[in-house]
Amino acid sequence: MAASDAGYTADREIVTTRIFDAPRELVFKAWTEPERLVRWWGPRGFTTPFCEMDVRPGGGFRFGMRSPEGTEHWLQGVYREILEPERLVFTWAWQDAQGKPGHETLLTLNFAEHAGKTKLTLHQAVFETVTARNAHQQGWTSGLDDLADYLAKAKEERV
Amino acid sequence: MSPDRLSTTFAALSDPTRRAILARLASGETSVTELAEPFEMSLPAVSKHLKVLERAGLISRGREAQWRPCRLDAKPLKEVANWMEQYRRFWNESFDRLDAYLYEVQSAPKKGKKHGRK
Repeated sequence: MAASDAGYTADREIVTTRIFDAPRELVFKAWTEPERLVRWWGPRGFTTPFCEMDVRPGGGFRFGMRSPEGTEHWLQGVYREILEPERLVFTWAWQDAQGKPGHETLLTLNFAEHAGKTKLTLHQAVFETVTARNAHQQGWTSGLDDLADYLAKAKEERV
Repeated sequence: MSPDRLSTTFAALSDPTRRAILARLASGETSVTELAEPFEMSLPAVSKHLKVLERAGLISRGREAQWRPCRLDAKPLKEVANWMEQYRRFWNESFDRLDAYLYEVQSAPKKGKKHGRK
């Protein structure tokens, strides 16, 4: 299942995989055409009244989301790589109340054909943006497992 | 947590030495000298890393002039864990909705009343 893939041991990245019963051209379009994206984007109960995207390398996007309670959330990013219908890479940052972007993460989506369906794998690099990513790639030491255990414990104990 | 605080935490966590220091501190408080041992790095260099961690609120240090033990402060790490949890929820629920959307558009012409699969 998607959720259980993303454990603390891999806390440099969030990784989620899902198989969709649709051709990958269509799944890809669901990410790259505003009128399709707004139909499903966000957690349950959220709407996306504003959606602007310029899907080309270096092009930007901006989504305005509304929570079920009516709170607005603004999201922005820049497309880095577009390989229709296989791969989509973009940066992502939430905006604060002044419209200033916060911490930036890098999303990599891979769309693979899977027995007539589409297997979508989403990687969200948590610490690195596209520029910093390569520099840190080998940096993840085994000591991190201890930290991961600690985090898991801290979570239970509500430190 | 404010976005700025999160950025500070992530900036502090983006360095492998600092992550290793935190991992070491997870098993208990220790002195700077002890902390520096496993790293091929001078004490001033380790101190620099500690300052970054301290500023990010990830560690705190004792007041004693000579022996200033470092200890891990879990709060920002917990905030990171919660933040990641929110993303997991974001994607899980978005993917549920995407699944339903794809089903809907592919069966649209028939306008059948079949229920979306889970």
